[in-house]
Amino acid sequence: MTDIAVLLFAAAVGFGVARWSGLPVIPFLLLAGFGLSFVPVVESEFLQDALVLGITFLVFVAGIELNPRRVRRQTRAALAVGLIQFLALGILGFGAARLLGMEVHTAIYVALALTASSTLVVVRILQERRQMFESFGRLVIGVLLLQDLAVILLIPMVTRLPDGAGAVLEGVAATAALTVVAYVLLRWVLPGLLKRISLDEELLLLAVLALLFSFLFLSDLLGIPSIAGAFLAGLALSSFPVNGVVRGQLMSVSDFFTAIFFTALGAQLGIPSGAQLAQAFVLAAVVVVVTPPLVALVAERFDFSARPAIFSGLLLAQTSEFSLVVGLQGVVLEQLAPGTFAVIALVTLVTMTITPFLSRDRLSLWLMRFHPSARSRDSEEDPPRDHVLLLGCGVTGMPLLETLVIGPYRVVAVDDDPQVVQRVRDAGVEAIRGDAADAELLHRAGADRARVVVSTVRRVEDNGPLLEMAGGVPVLVRVFNVEDAEWVEARGGQAVLYSDAAAEGFLEWFDRAGWVRPDELEDEEREQVL
Amino acid sequence: MPNVTLLQDFGIILVAAAVFAFAARPLRVPSIIAYIVAGLALGPVFGVVDVSETLELTSELGIALLLFLVGLELSFEKVKGVGKVALVAGLGQVVFTAAGGFGLALIMGLSPMEGLFVATALTFSSTVVVVKLLGEKKELDSLYGRIAVGIFLVQDLVVIVFLTVLAGLGTGSERDVGTMVFGIVKAFGGMAVLLAVALLSAKYLLTGVFGWISRSLEALFIWSLSWCFLFVLAAEMMGLSLEIGAFLAGISLAQLPYSEELRRRVHPLVNFFIAVFFVTLGIHMEVDGASAIAWPGVVFSLFVLIGNPLIFLLIIGFMGYGRKIAFLTSVTVAQISEFSFIFAAMGLGAGLIGPDMLTLITVVGLVTMAVSAYMILYNHELYRFVKAWRVIRLIPDVREAPQEGTLEEDDEEELARLRNHVIVVGMNSLGRRIVQGLRERGVRTLALDTDPVKLGQVEGEPLVGNVDHLSVLESAGIARARLVVSALQIEDANNLLAYRCRTFGVPCSIHAFDVAVVQDLKDIGASHLMDSKTAGTRRLTEALASEGIYG
Repeated sequence: MTDIAVLLFAAAVGFGVARWSGLPVIPFLLLAGFGLSFVPVVESEFLQDALVLGITFLVFVAGIELNPRRVRRQTRAALAVGLIQFLALGILGFGAARLLGMEVHTAIYVALALTASSTLVVVRILQERRQMFESFGRLVIGVLLLQDLAVILLIPMVTRLPDGAGAVLEGVAATAALTVVAYVLLRWVLPGLLKRISLDEELLLLAVLALLFSFLFLSDLLGIPSIAGAFLAGLALSSFPVNGVVRGQLMSVSDFFTAIFFTALGAQLGIPSGAQLAQAFVLAAVVVVVTPPLVALVAERFDFSARPAIFSGLLLAQTSEFSLVVGLQGVVLEQLAPGTFAVIALVTLVTMTITPFLSRDRLSLWLMRFHPSARSRDSEEDPPRDHVLLLGCGVTGMPLLETLVIGPYRVVAVDDDPQVVQRVRDAGVEAIRGDAADAELLHRAGADRARVVVSTVRRVEDNGPLLEMAGGVPVLVRVFNVEDAEWVEARGGQAVLYSDAAAEGFLEWFDRAGWVRPDELEDEEREQVL
Repeated sequence: MPNVTLLQDFGIILVAAAVFAFAARPLRVPSIIAYIVAGLALGPVFGVVDVSETLELTSELGIALLLFLVGLELSFEKVKGVGKVALVAGLGQVVFTAAGGFGLALIMGLSPMEGLFVATALTFSSTVVVVKLLGEKKELDSLYGRIAVGIFLVQDLVVIVFLTVLAGLGTGSERDVGTMVFGIVKAFGGMAVLLAVALLSAKYLLTGVFGWISRSLEALFIWSLSWCFLFVLAAEMMGLSLEIGAFLAGISLAQLPYSEELRRRVHPLVNFFIAVFFVTLGIHMEVDGASAIAWPGVVFSLFVLIGNPLIFLLIIGFMGYGRKIAFLTSVTVAQISEFSFIFAAMGLGAGLIGPDMLTLITVVGLVTMAVSAYMILYNHELYRFVKAWRVIRLIPDVREAPQEGTLEEDDEEELARLRNHVIVVGMNSLGRRIVQGLRERGVRTLALDTDPVKLGQVEGEPLVGNVDHLSVLESAGIARARLVVSALQIEDANNLLAYRCRTFGVPCSIHAFDVAVVQDLKDIGASHLMDSKTAGTRRLTEALASEGIYG
């Protein structure tokens, strides 16, 4: 009992520091666990058990979250970016590891560990910035899901490398077989089952866990690592609404085990030697230096404009919790020296910690200067004047645009989505593709000499440059939160609160549906009303 | 993998638990019985699983978390009132059962030492079994539930004293009498210290500290668990049971505004660990040669099943709680505890009793747990059945038992209040505005959010919770709601909510905060979508026109 309590206390410290500093929690959990290794209060046997259980749940839940629908329109871009990043980092990582004097098999492990970016860290940042639904957010999530999948499915092969090509092929076949089982459950069995029988929470949790452990048995039977089994078990549960129903029950169990997992992992690291620190530094540098330009380049190929492309690259510049999974797998099978695992853990710790700093707006804006587009753009054409400037023109901006073009003034639209820009141009309206938070573009679009500027960009902070530049030009900004409205008004803009508009729309519907005196409505009438 | 055995053991246990629980469903068998039977099948019958240390720890964890959860459900105010009755009844029962059991043992021809062990083993009731069942019935914080919890805590203390004394008697030298007294003093001192810490921290420390961390619910969860284990360790250090420590930790967090959310988070964890606990319990059971002790087994089981409740019925009945409360409370103590097995195994290890006594206690435990589980689950029906009996009539009945009456009225009022209401999820600007609008129309509105601070800013009736949990929706009375509205900007949560509304047959209006989420929501069958961006654009157009800037 002491063992688990001590691990939990360390985890609590990790969470506390993360909350205080606003940085991702995983590095601090590792560090807190690392601190524990100086006070040997926790039995190593228990640590092992905690690691095994923790890793199982971590991977299982990652499988449940693997829902391709979250990527949607960006699937092709995500596939390209994900694969290219995966291959490039794999090759570079392998080369770097070899140059650092590692053996071939070790280098393959290290390379695989470097290929993935952290879903846990990146999704949290995207959520905090409310950018899950921007097209680059979808792209990033797609890349993460793809990488998770690739890493997990490659593990069975990598672990079999020492046994020759035949064994690897067997591993491929076994993994494919289990994937088919998971897919059959995902598509045809589980959703129907959920509809037919309603389970109380206790039975539901048990059923889910029984499924997980059945997959572990199967993977054991097929001779592939149990984490692949855990991941595929999660995959089988990843369809809606099964995933949603399961998530509520599994969330706290997995929170508990993951916290324990990272702390226990930290406790096993041991003090790194100078050489290990140096190796970790080199590998971390590879990840941080290579990823952003690489991702940015590929993303631009898929018509992403400069800033989201650069930002996606910065967001993905870290190794993943799955890197730790890969390393741990190697250590457990005694194919990887604990020292090398420590290197992987260090890389993860460092890169995860700096991700929040990399993803600051200021950095991506600064990097924009080095972007070819920043220089090649010619400002030979005079910026428009006395026009109506519309910033952000997605699907919901279109009706507004229609109203505007009927009016007597020249209309210019700005959007960062190339498809939107094309559509606007097809409708015969001037459109500039670019980032509404980019001062240079704003200048080009004549934001400071417009008759009026209307902004529907998603993030209120992106209106900063505009409001700064606008001077006497009236600026109307569509915002959701009351706090954002205050932010805009404090900077001289005029906020249009769309939460308020939506609420009014709802209340209108509510009144129209005849709900005003609902007590008098019978159930049948209620249904008729709808 | 060196630890593959652990995963395998876990796997076998959980799969067996699931299989037996599913098989037991049509028969309405309580899940704990299914678990124990699964354990019996795995251990004594087929011998598939050996209980490792980690598995052992997992079971303990289950008990600690369960009692933590019980603490979270209650609060100091709720427990304070039942202190006296719990103390009197708990002590009375221990004395009666021990004496009666000892006498019965002698009559059955057991040796005095065997009698002593059996009698002691019979006095413990199983906190875990009862709390689990009452939790399922959602009657933990009813009056009788609170009394039962109080009784178990008193029993826990008595057991500690008992064990200390027994350990002292084992050697009998004078110095050990000293340690014995010291042990008892330490236990009571420790209890006082823990109670004081729990009370004081609840009053001065926790609101601030846990408020600070509560921005991340995951962090809040880990901190609360740490708080629980802090108490558990402290309790163990002072020679108290981990149950007492975990319970006090829970109760000190109970009045935090997030306790509801915490409970929901701890609950699945408890379900997980408790399943392992009961299966492990079954694996441990020694039922070899059970047929040889069948006769005493039946006698002792009947003694526990009938004798124990009877004495409680009298004690509580005469303390003025009325027949019904007395009966319902009494039924909860009609079983012996998992601790009885441990106790008997200790006796066997010390060579004080033979293996047949361990088997006897195991059989009595199995029978009483199984039967009393049914008695607890159907306690109200049982009461209706025995009400007419003369024994019950002997108990002075409080005129319509005021405590109980008010409690039921409270419940009914609660239910009636939440009828034909609108549930609004997510207290962002949109949610707040909707609640305001609905209240202006005189519509009963329940505001739901995970953040108590945000809920404090709205007028509607607040409920803290995460809509991902079905239980949150149930306590919001979704089945009787007229409409569910979600202002959330979380795709997964909205989809799930829309899906659940459809299964409940309740219309819902969901915030379609982005074009990308619209199609899914339509597919799921949301009754109405709030397309906030389009609404905002319309307003932009109006603003452009009306303010004369344009058009």
